[in-house]
Amino acid sequence: MQDKTKNKIIALGFVTILFLFFIINLVKKDEEISISERRKLTQFPKLTLSTLSSGKFSQEFENYAIDQFVSRDEFRSLKATWSNYVFKQKDNNGLFLLNNSIYKMEYPLNEANVQSSAKKINNVCQKYLQGMNIYFSIIPDKTYYLKKDYLSIDPSQVEKIIKNTVENVKYIDITKSLKLEDYYNTDLHWKQENLQSTVRKIEEEMNLQNTSNIAYEVKPMGNFYGAYYGQLGRKISPDKLNILVNSTIENATTYNYETKKTAKVYDEAKWQASSDKYDIYLSGATPIIEVKNPNSKTEKELILFRDSFGSSIAPLLLENYKKITLVDLRYVNSNILQNYINFENQDVLFLYSVVVLNQNVLK
Amino acid sequence: MVFSSITFLFYFLPITLGIYYIVPKKFKNFVLLLASFVFYYFGEPTYVLLMAFSILSTYIFGRLIDKNRNTKYAKLWLILSLIVSIGLLIYFKYINFIIQNINLWLAHKIDFINVALPIGISFYTFQMISYLIDVYRGEAKVQKNLLKLAMYVSLFPQLIAGPIVRYVTIEKEIENRTHTMEKFAQGVRRFIIGLAKKVLIANVLGEVCTTYLATKELSVLYAWIYGISAMLQIYFDFSGYSDMAIGLGKMFGFEFLENFNYPYIAKSITDFWRRWHISLSSWFRDYVYIPLGGNRTSKLKWLRNIMIVWLLTGLWHGSAWNFIIWGLYFGILLIIEKLFLGKYLEKIPKIFSHAYTLIIVMISFIIFNGESVNQILTNLTSLIGIGNIPLTSLESIYYFKSYFIVIIIGIIGATPLLKNMANNEKYKKIINVLEPITLVVLLAISTSYIIDGSFNPFLYFRF
Repeated sequence: MQDKTKNKIIALGFVTILFLFFIINLVKKDEEISISERRKLTQFPKLTLSTLSSGKFSQEFENYAIDQFVSRDEFRSLKATWSNYVFKQKDNNGLFLLNNSIYKMEYPLNEANVQSSAKKINNVCQKYLQGMNIYFSIIPDKTYYLKKDYLSIDPSQVEKIIKNTVENVKYIDITKSLKLEDYYNTDLHWKQENLQSTVRKIEEEMNLQNTSNIAYEVKPMGNFYGAYYGQLGRKISPDKLNILVNSTIENATTYNYETKKTAKVYDEAKWQASSDKYDIYLSGATPIIEVKNPNSKTEKELILFRDSFGSSIAPLLLENYKKITLVDLRYVNSNILQNYINFENQDVLFLYSVVVLNQNVLK
Repeated sequence: MVFSSITFLFYFLPITLGIYYIVPKKFKNFVLLLASFVFYYFGEPTYVLLMAFSILSTYIFGRLIDKNRNTKYAKLWLILSLIVSIGLLIYFKYINFIIQNINLWLAHKIDFINVALPIGISFYTFQMISYLIDVYRGEAKVQKNLLKLAMYVSLFPQLIAGPIVRYVTIEKEIENRTHTMEKFAQGVRRFIIGLAKKVLIANVLGEVCTTYLATKELSVLYAWIYGISAMLQIYFDFSGYSDMAIGLGKMFGFEFLENFNYPYIAKSITDFWRRWHISLSSWFRDYVYIPLGGNRTSKLKWLRNIMIVWLLTGLWHGSAWNFIIWGLYFGILLIIEKLFLGKYLEKIPKIFSHAYTLIIVMISFIIFNGESVNQILTNLTSLIGIGNIPLTSLESIYYFKSYFIVIIIGIIGATPLLKNMANNEKYKKIINVLEPITLVVLLAISTSYIIDGSFNPFLYFRF
């Protein structure tokens, strides 16, 4: 090719690309949400003299331009591919794919954050739970079960900080009850059907009746694309999500304190409609929800302070309780719990994942 | 506004290029002036009036110097103009640093002044000073058209992070410049290469630097990863910016001077500073070092001149002690080289002089990046394992594997190897086909990194 032709291609090509994207972005309708990233996208910022002169407009405009860029998902996918195959980076924004499973690095341990999570837990204990049986357990992130070339937080480090801060609680070590296979490939959560040994361990440590003789039917729900799937932006085969069913769970009812609605343990409407299919378990994230077991042979109750992992394990603890109240301290302030819950000698279990404890998100 | 942003690339640039090339020649300067003010206002709305005031005062002083040429008043106006522009720079950039250091000696502390650093003030102030001095010396013709002078100072490609384009460099182009397909294509190539240097290398290595600075798992390997990454990050960030500026300049018909010439292949610190941020070092040479007498004076004064220049160079980079130490460190090393080391560096095998230069420069950037004396000392001593730190750690091995390729690409990219290959006449036909393809790929990948990443301003914005 002659220099002249080359120059023409470069100059005109560049200008064409700029104009093309400028016009397409201008014409393209703005999206409300990103399904793959599960978040709201920035909308066109308010244009006033004050937002303009304070610099707020220009900042938000860049966020808007990035969020609403045409083929955003494809560009993100391109970046992930380049980072993986050309730069051979081990992770992309902390996410990486290994043996057809997606992981997100939760690293390093943020001592200050774990400390403040521990303080919140301790406040709850001091304020409401004096003299009650309190247990706590930490759910390892699935990266913990990888080979040592990957960076992960050792739950025992988290345990140490919590033990130093929170008094009179009994720690339940479930790290050995879980394996890598017990987690989904495309999601951070554990699989409900793989929780038997974890449930056994909890039953044993909390002096509950061993329920290994209770039979569950494994009901397949279908394909499950977890939260990491969209975040990574690369194509891999989906997981299968199963739910465990028996008569106790079938007959149990839930009551959501926020929506004031009664429902079943498994919310099949959420399975159909929600962008996060994991919401099938107890209808997903919510501040306080209780599960009642009308067939219970005991009068015992459990208060489960939990994150999203708690939704899938709670149904498996029902055999031992008449009522389980699940509290998510990320969505309800610990100082106002007495307005909703009558604390009177229930069993108490704090069950949090490393990921949540390592961020300062408990209220 | 940042070049490596969607706002700039896919909104500002197409609109500006479009209008610029549609309007008749006589309006082109005005379009550039307007675009430059929009560009500045979008990133720094508070200080756009400050810049306008500086331009106006430079214009008036320039006229006054010119009008009183060959009288004693010319010098008076020059001094007054320097007091105004340097005074503004001191107030906006250094006032709180000065107060902080005065307060160390005072019982009744002076309150800090609530003032933020206007983006690009160090760059445009130096451009205006060069203009005023050149007019005084008769090396530049005074600009009688305020809009043209304003266009020169505010010209958006070089406004906020250099290079420091002197008025004489583009004096003729302001009046009359040519636009050719060839020049435009060269500009596009330079711009895209600069963008890729910034987004794909500097930003990516910036991540590992940030991770290192926050770690609790120090190790010798990690300290070296940091040292090398920091060196490459700052080079690719800053030279990438200069590439983009030069490229944009070409797209609008201007020819700026080069600002970097592969500094990491230098064989001595003297050589390094001939290749690094050339527009700044030559500015100090022409407007400070030589007026002070340069080396044509007594030895003692010569050494004094060198130290003054490097004290100021350090200070120019920021109002903090680490920048002053950084400048003086280079001043001392340059003196040592000039007095005796330089001769030896020329005699010893090249590999040793290269290694010497790189190590000295790496140490300098560890000082440059340091936020406290403790941090700087830890980062330096970790390189040789002082303080009982292990050779490696899990974390350092992970990041070593994760950033290895980018570091290697960075090292290769810091040498003229790729440029020489591209300029090889033997493969011209293939290269001519590969070049447009490579540029499209780089633009697409850089765009994908910008879309995926968070906001990441240029390192040199602090200055």
